[in-house]
Amino acid sequence: MQDIFQDLNAQLRQLLVPKDIFAWQTLLLLSLFSLFIAGALDTVEGASQLAISLLTNLSWIFFTAAVWWGLSEAKSLKVADFHIGPWITGAVLCLFLFRPWLSEFRLRWAISSWPIISTGVMALPHYLNWELEFKPPKDAVKKTLIMTLLVNLLLSSWISFHFRIQDWVRSYPSLLVRSLDESDFVVDFVIDRQQPSQGVALLEGMIREIEKDLDNQPWYQTERWLYTRQIELESALKETLRSLEAPDEQVLLQVEAPAPTQSDQSYLLSLKAIWSGPMARNGAFDLEKICKISPVDAPRAVPTEADEPQPLTRLTEVDCGEDPAEERFRARSL
Amino acid sequence: MEYEPILPLKTIVFQVLFLLVAIAIEAGILRQRLRLGFQTSVQYATVINLAAVVAGWITFLVLEPLSPMEVKAQIMSYLLFNRLLVNGWTTELGAILFAIALVSFFGTFLIKAKGLEYFLRIDKSWALLKKQPKKKLTRGDIYAKARGGGVEDSQTTFDFTDTVIQANAASFSAILLLMLLRFAIQGWSA
Repeated sequence: MQDIFQDLNAQLRQLLVPKDIFAWQTLLLLSLFSLFIAGALDTVEGASQLAISLLTNLSWIFFTAAVWWGLSEAKSLKVADFHIGPWITGAVLCLFLFRPWLSEFRLRWAISSWPIISTGVMALPHYLNWELEFKPPKDAVKKTLIMTLLVNLLLSSWISFHFRIQDWVRSYPSLLVRSLDESDFVVDFVIDRQQPSQGVALLEGMIREIEKDLDNQPWYQTERWLYTRQIELESALKETLRSLEAPDEQVLLQVEAPAPTQSDQSYLLSLKAIWSGPMARNGAFDLEKICKISPVDAPRAVPTEADEPQPLTRLTEVDCGEDPAEERFRARSL
Repeated sequence: MEYEPILPLKTIVFQVLFLLVAIAIEAGILRQRLRLGFQTSVQYATVINLAAVVAGWITFLVLEPLSPMEVKAQIMSYLLFNRLLVNGWTTELGAILFAIALVSFFGTFLIKAKGLEYFLRIDKSWALLKKQPKKKLTRGDIYAKARGGGVEDSQTTFDFTDTVIQANAASFSAILLLMLLRFAIQGWSA
């Protein structure tokens, strides 16, 4: 055990301790040193933030340069006769430039631009000499560089396309009520997807708004509400959209409320959410909720004589049922 | 943020496949018409096709977020459900698709011609191409030569353009044929 440890120690020493001042290990140590100082400064009270961020950035720059230098010396790092060193350096550079752990947006940019930045890393030594002067690359090299750039642009496009699709299904989640197994462009790894559309949440929200407006209100107010329902529903929709996960979807998911039908003294108000966006097999779906709005007589809270009957007042009761709305699928009418 | 397990893998597979078909066909035509070497013609065909595909991707990625909702819904419908929404669009749709096909054909032609010219210039074959033995002179050519004009130049440019447009047309037709074949087989098995 001791021997193994000593052996490892010796090997690490041989790898990491520079044989020459002018070597990539020097840069790595410099990077670690700056990081250490930045960390030490961070613990000191009242240390300037500028110094800390400067040191961290320096540490990153040293680290990137060390990786770059170290990998350009490792000639055997090949996949199918192709040096992959620049792509590792590119990854480190992307980490430094974009800090992808901070937000999803940064992560996306870091991954999408990784191939292009790596190509830049690969091309740079062909355009600059050691005195940092511009030199035009040789013709054969130029051709390889153009080819590499094009392949990497294609890779970046594919990655961006992936994120574009993720954006779509996030902005318009009702696209995913069923699996995307008809597509010639994407593979959906959820087999037989059966998820509720956002229409369910939309109708629930609308109903909550309506109940808030009408429940236990005087009946005459309710009748006026029903008369001007278009305006009232519009504001209810606006309120609901604020609480939805993907409010952008409303351009594809319209809410309709036909004139309420009267039965006995109560009204039946039906709310419909109709999907007009794309769907599998050229289908369409809608959801419906029916609310029963009825008057109830309740005793009025006024002082009365003992033997006199309590005067009554007509209040409103809204009953929309407990079950959530369900998608009704049909063929799209042409 | 969580991501849905949806990956554009089919896009990648089909793109690679169609690229291979296009490169094979165009390399053959370039080799025959421009008398290039086997390896050179494959290399040139690869580069010009990659350039065309990348230009197409950039156009799509830039235009898609800028397009109005109707167009966006059509794009999503086509890419995710493999069909177009047809309500009310039928008359315009044909014309728009035709326009897109035309623009992409001539767009790719332009990119391929310029790319090929650039690569020929790098390899210093562009000048050689100009010195190629010409076909029989027509009467008009002889007159033009007598007037001191450079017939040779326009003749080679014409030959070059002709070759590129032929190669482009051939690869487009082949890919179209493959797609039609696929639809036929799908319709058959369904």
